[in-house]
Amino acid sequence: MITTITETDQWTDVFNTSAGAIYQSDAERCWYVDFAGKVAKFDYRCLLKLRKAVYHIDIEQVLLTSSKAPDVEIIFICACDHCYVLSLVQIIALKELLEGTFVMLELNHILHDRLCIIPV
Amino acid sequence: MKDLIRIKSLISTEIEALLNQQIKKEAHSSSIYLSMASWCNRNGYDFSADYFFKQAEEERYHQLKFYKYVLDMGGNSISPEVTGIKQEFNSFREVFEEALDQEISVTQSIKNIYARCMKEQDFVTVEFLNWFLKEQREEEYKARRALELFEVIGEEGTGRWQIDKHVGQITYNSEA
Repeated sequence: MITTITETDQWTDVFNTSAGAIYQSDAERCWYVDFAGKVAKFDYRCLLKLRKAVYHIDIEQVLLTSSKAPDVEIIFICACDHCYVLSLVQIIALKELLEGTFVMLELNHILHDRLCIIPV
Repeated sequence: MKDLIRIKSLISTEIEALLNQQIKKEAHSSSIYLSMASWCNRNGYDFSADYFFKQAEEERYHQLKFYKYVLDMGGNSISPEVTGIKQEFNSFREVFEEALDQEISVTQSIKNIYARCMKEQDFVTVEFLNWFLKEQREEEYKARRALELFEVIGEEGTGRWQIDKHVGQITYNSEA
């Protein structure tokens, strides 16, 4: 599914690399993943499922295998509208993008956590 | 930027994963106790079979407690796959030795989650786990006492029959 970006001013850039970017929409309470030529909307559950699916791919194993099958992985997430068909290079890039994103989200969580502490 | 993950879930993904592991462990425990109950029943140890049926039910109750907690906190509880349950035991004593090992391993696992919660300052889950720590005191006590019956009574003669009779009477009622 290809969505055209019409309004980006309400999106916050969470993390980006040369391969793609992930934005957060506070109003819609979701994330937009701009990767592999499309912008896909992910809610909290689906983003976690995407992370799990991508982290689950054993990149080393795919590199070492000598079979003639093309090194293409299909990332299909249950109960989610999107599906990715990615080459190994793209998977490495997506993994990097997701890792960075979750570090930033964690950092954001720490900041919120610290700001909420009421000074005595 | 809003902290969207926090809005959705009170517990972190790491704690959620640990709790799901614990759900699996409790389910595994429950199944092992069932297989112990079956072995005892087949070999004529009726009181011990009843004891293990009760233990199996308790472990199942613990599993559901974890299961509901994860859901209540906005997480995803995973219904576990339970495989590789030992069905045969070499002796009456071995059943109780394994039961104690099982309880020790559960206590260790809960301690591990507790340590992680302290590190993350997840005091909500710490408070939830306190009930389990207290429960483990009782579980380990009962398993240890049962095993001690083998020393106290001895297995010779009608020893095993006596042990079986006393297993059902073990209770823990410490006020501490």
